Amino acid sequence: MSQPIKCSLCEEAATVHLSQVVHGNVTKVHLCESCAQKGGATDPAVFQLADALTAASPAPTLTCPKCGFTDIDFRKRGRLGCPSCWETFADALGGLLSKVQHEAAHVGRAPAGTLPAGQLRRRLDAARREMEKAIAGEDYESAARLRDEVAELEKQLTPS
Amino acid sequence: MSVEDILAAENELTHLLGAQQAVVLSTRIRLARNLEGMPFPGWAKVPQRKEISDRCVEALDALPKFRRGHVLRMGELGDRDRAVLVERHLVSKELAAGKSGAAVISRDQTCSVMVNEEDHLRIQVVKAGWHLRGTWHIAEQLDDALGGTLKLAFSDRLGYLTACPTNVGTGLRASAMVHLPGLCLAGHMDKVSRALNQDGLAVRGWLGEGTEAAGNIFQISNQQTLGLSEEAILKHLGGWIKNVVEQEWNARRKLAHEEGEKFVDRLARSLGLLRSARLLTSSEAMNMLSHLRLACDMGCLPEERRHLVDRLMIEGQPAHVQARAGQELDSDGRDSRRAAVVREALKDFPEVVPPTA
Repeated sequence: MSQPIKCSLCEEAATVHLSQVVHGNVTKVHLCESCAQKGGATDPAVFQLADALTAASPAPTLTCPKCGFTDIDFRKRGRLGCPSCWETFADALGGLLSKVQHEAAHVGRAPAGTLPAGQLRRRLDAARREMEKAIAGEDYESAARLRDEVAELEKQLTPS
Repeated sequence: MSVEDILAAENELTHLLGAQQAVVLSTRIRLARNLEGMPFPGWAKVPQRKEISDRCVEALDALPKFRRGHVLRMGELGDRDRAVLVERHLVSKELAAGKSGAAVISRDQTCSVMVNEEDHLRIQVVKAGWHLRGTWHIAEQLDDALGGTLKLAFSDRLGYLTACPTNVGTGLRASAMVHLPGLCLAGHMDKVSRALNQDGLAVRGWLGEGTEAAGNIFQISNQQTLGLSEEAILKHLGGWIKNVVEQEWNARRKLAHEEGEKFVDRLARSLGLLRSARLLTSSEAMNMLSHLRLACDMGCLPEERRHLVDRLMIEGQPAHVQARAGQELDSDGRDSRRAAVVREALKDFPEVVPPTA
């Protein structure tokens, strides 16, 4: 008889088998009943966790100076320790982010009144691109909304 | 007792206080936010989690949106009350499972903020029907108000910093709860699910992650949170929901046309069964209530009865049935009580007639 497949997160026999297809790349994850329930079998983070688990490098090489979280902890949990971990593990997370998020820079909102110039410029570029797309697609309602956003961002970027 | 108040209060998801729609049951916006300089809840020590909870709850409680609302600390609630909150989608299973989480819920139950879930703050806004823009604007205002009183973890390059890389950036998860009996009956749901997955949208069951699609109800949401503006995320989801709703209507019309009497018979049988059953399991009730909702959408039952069907879907869940009975019930007891509630609610329903839509 063949060996039962083991859970990707613990040593139990896996009974839940998942395949995820993202842009043609197939990822397979095997989970036991309790891990599947705990993690939420459709949570994309489950795949990410499994990715991190199957990656090599056993000894902790990085520790967050702010909260003591290590790269091994991340491999186990798939979650970070504190906001500063994002800086500590920036290099390691870069590759993961391009896999789960496709893009590596934020172009959305910022806390009220704290939008920095770099952020404003990226957002302006994105809004201009979306506006052109909307016009090309004859979606004038969205184009009008984006035109207002572009005007507002341009105003904010002009030194007063 | 606060959870009892929540159950007793009329709100738009159960009492038609807002616009109700065919196909789309509700629109939801979720924003993940964290306090600067504090460890995420999963890594924080007990006293830190307490401090996080106190600071967040204090800030939320001061907002006009939550005036005369509810502050519920999970550690102070019994199992059944926490299960009721999960069944209402006011808190996640994850929050309900821990002791240090709290939920701040607006009086009208459209806004609920989870504190100490995976992130320090999970702002959620839910509206009945399909109202992506309106729901977003409420969330945006709440976010701005919170950002005014709390220092949120934010980086110029990565946006809002979250515990999990799948939420970083906008922290935005926008979703629609859709009722797709036509696509399910026609056997097209797998195909639709695949198409949505391939274009970056997740399809989940009625109670979110890892649940099956009882009652032909699915939650469709964006996956990517980084590198796209909120506007782009909403537009992408909105375009797909519009498309899915169209496909659902095509499938329904095709079924009604091709099946004729068989189509009406299916809906009429469900009404008959729900009206006379003495024992109803939760999934049985959901699947037959799905037929009644379809009947209301198609003109086979009066449209103004649809909100009652929606209410039964929510109130027929196990914890709701027990809360209403005021006691713990075993599985048979629940099935019996559920059947009684459904019989009572449907007793003056008119008969199912052939579709007009």
